[in-house]
Amino acid sequence: MKRNGWVVLLIILACVAGLTYHQMRRQQQAEEYGYESVPARSASGEGGRTDAKDVLVVADQYDATSMDPIAHNDVPSSRAVYSLYDTLIFADDEGNIFPGLAESWELLSGTEYKFNLRKGVKFHNGDELNAEDVRHAIMRATTDAGARIAVYSQNVKDVQVIDDHTLVIELKKTDYSFFPSLTHSWAAIYSKRAFEELGDGFGMNPAGAGSGPFKFVSWQKGNKYVLERFDDYWGPKPRVKTIEVRSIPEPTSRTIALETGEADIIFPVVHNDLRRVDENENLVLYRKPQNSITYVGFNVTKPPFDNVNVRRAVASALDVAGIQAASYRGVGNAPGSLVPSAVKYSLNDVTPVRERDVELAKKLLAEAGVNDLRLEIWTNERKERVDSATIIQAQLEEAGIKSEIKVLEWGAYLNGLLEKRHDLFILGWVNSIPDPNYAISGLLESSALGSTNYTFFSDAKLDELLDRGRGLEDGDERAALYKEMQLYIDEQLPMIYLHNDESIAGTRKNVRGFEPRSNEIHSFREVYFE
Amino acid sequence: MIRYIVRRILFLIPVLAGVAFCVFTLLYLTPGDPAKMVLGEMATERAIQEFREREGLDKPFLMQFANYVYKAVTRGDIGRSYVTKRPVMDEILAAFPATLKLAAFAIVIAIIIGLPCGILSAIKQYSIFDTAAMIFAMIGLSMPVFWLGLLLILLFSVHLRWLPPSGFDTFQAMILPSLALSAQSISMITRMTRSSMLEVIRADYIRTARSKGQKESVVIWRHALHNALIPVVTLCGLQFGQLLSGAILTESIFAIPGVGRLMVDSIKARDYPVVQGGVLFVAVAFSLVNLLVDLLYAYIDPRIKAQYK
Repeated sequence: MKRNGWVVLLIILACVAGLTYHQMRRQQQAEEYGYESVPARSASGEGGRTDAKDVLVVADQYDATSMDPIAHNDVPSSRAVYSLYDTLIFADDEGNIFPGLAESWELLSGTEYKFNLRKGVKFHNGDELNAEDVRHAIMRATTDAGARIAVYSQNVKDVQVIDDHTLVIELKKTDYSFFPSLTHSWAAIYSKRAFEELGDGFGMNPAGAGSGPFKFVSWQKGNKYVLERFDDYWGPKPRVKTIEVRSIPEPTSRTIALETGEADIIFPVVHNDLRRVDENENLVLYRKPQNSITYVGFNVTKPPFDNVNVRRAVASALDVAGIQAASYRGVGNAPGSLVPSAVKYSLNDVTPVRERDVELAKKLLAEAGVNDLRLEIWTNERKERVDSATIIQAQLEEAGIKSEIKVLEWGAYLNGLLEKRHDLFILGWVNSIPDPNYAISGLLESSALGSTNYTFFSDAKLDELLDRGRGLEDGDERAALYKEMQLYIDEQLPMIYLHNDESIAGTRKNVRGFEPRSNEIHSFREVYFE
Repeated sequence: MIRYIVRRILFLIPVLAGVAFCVFTLLYLTPGDPAKMVLGEMATERAIQEFREREGLDKPFLMQFANYVYKAVTRGDIGRSYVTKRPVMDEILAAFPATLKLAAFAIVIAIIIGLPCGILSAIKQYSIFDTAAMIFAMIGLSMPVFWLGLLLILLFSVHLRWLPPSGFDTFQAMILPSLALSAQSISMITRMTRSSMLEVIRADYIRTARSKGQKESVVIWRHALHNALIPVVTLCGLQFGQLLSGAILTESIFAIPGVGRLMVDSIKARDYPVVQGGVLFVAVAFSLVNLLVDLLYAYIDPRIKAQYK
């Protein structure tokens, strides 16, 4: 029996030794390889870092889901796509369009967009960019492979290749909001040959496919992906050699990673940690208004919320600015309009935030003949939304409206919304394309019923206005139309605007050339270390 | 012995069938449409319909289950991830090394700390050490791992700057998560060793050993410990199995891409094949660890070896 005990102990010791050895080896290999995350001991600032630091470590909340430009519609993946690929055109934070892979363009008509491609653009596999690659990428987005981004691609009829560097994108019907959508990651261009060679694995391993400033090195799903500078890039070459984007879902862990120098850039910084990052002299906090809105929507198909006066009563019972300030702790602001400030024709900054009037609320309810109103407030698990729901509940109570809060997991939430079982619900909408059409149509147009129009608002007048808006070129007439639309929506009140968020990021002090983008597609193209 | 092992492995089949059925049913009843989650909110009706047909989601529940089992048994195919399109097995095997490493480190730490503490507590019952050990064991058992993890990060990463706060690539990075994860196991092993030792120490054969004039150290080591270890080995095995099944919270706090995190992400994304495959995988791992523990028993306890015939 004694001997047996020793055998057990020996086995355990052997395991430990084996694992330790394995770890050491891995570490050694990692150090040789050069881009393993920097252990904390060398990050303490006492000469642990080499002067020629060329690995930028970024900590994001979530990992990308796919690096196939059309297989996703989420921000972390779009960020990866933005580093790996280029689009025909780019947009800055003010919504100004500037050349990308297309050197110049021409609007032949409302349905025809001609692009002249830049010459000598190389893909990561060495091939040169050709109009056929563009045609392939855009047309593939119109197939079922692009179901997630169909909202942008569905209007494409065909892409005509004129010559190697000239092409015309043809639309089914006039839509001037389509052009700016080409700045979105869905319209990223990749090498047709590389795509065909990579096959099914394209989304997980897009090596060689892009033409962007960084090329794909490796991706450990759920952990990190590594990209490396592409030396044949046609544009300004990135200044860091390697970027490593890790996903750290736990907010506090993310902040700590920045504090210890394990990460050079992190986003988002949660509200609780703002001061901690701001007051740390080794760190820099960046805040920028985000093109997004969080709203409290009504299910307008469900009585009594089909009555606009009941909706108005509920809205009057709420102190939106107060709820926003309390739940979001000084981040962002309460919106005046559905269209975020940075999107053109927005009335966000000129329309006053709705004010509270409990007496009016009671009066409106009495006039509508609604006594003893009971409702449910639905939200997903995001803390700020749950907090908002709690305050909303208390304020409704003062107007004699009884309510119950239901916090649902995301999948169940969406499911419930689609089944129209909700009364009031809190949800958000991000505008990744600088055109007001996308700020409104996805939320309130009849065509979005059954997809992202969860208020089930379906109004012939608004549909007509949206349709006209897409058919107009930018100018005074279009501006007036979108202003009219915003005022009309305020009057119809399918939703109460709760919150405009901020893009918040933190960096180490020696990181330069980084600024968060208002559409959250942060760029590492210009980042360098001081 | 071999027959015993074969029998135990065969016994896995009904267990797995049961687990598969339970998971399948639970997922089927979970609200949330995978087609909508995978294709996105803006997906067209046609794309959703095609997805359902392709993945067989339009078929009746029992058909779906039968299909799954059929493919798994005949081809060893447990499906492809809806999200990444990769085989589920690849996804799990990519995540498993991190979990295995974490669990192995945690259990080793737990044994190295827990066992001596338990023994000392028992032979010095009611001493200051015993009281302190029991208090710590109580704290370790009650402390939620996410909080302990954060405290460890704050102390060792932020203030002392000795260890990195997240990741699993380096040896240093593994220390904190393993420590956080092992806290509960340390406590349980300490308490179990202590009570098991106390029981044995009062047994007749120990009194006999003492009365024949044996040295106290020999009494403790040879006579008491070996007999007291038996339940502790079971506990260690069970703990290891539990750690293997994915330390979800620890993996989240320390950003470790293991099986636990893979499953949570997959549940959120309604990536059913990965969830099913993941649960099955964990069930197999857990059962195999238990089998190993039982075999280890035979080594330690000849009485049990006799039963295996």
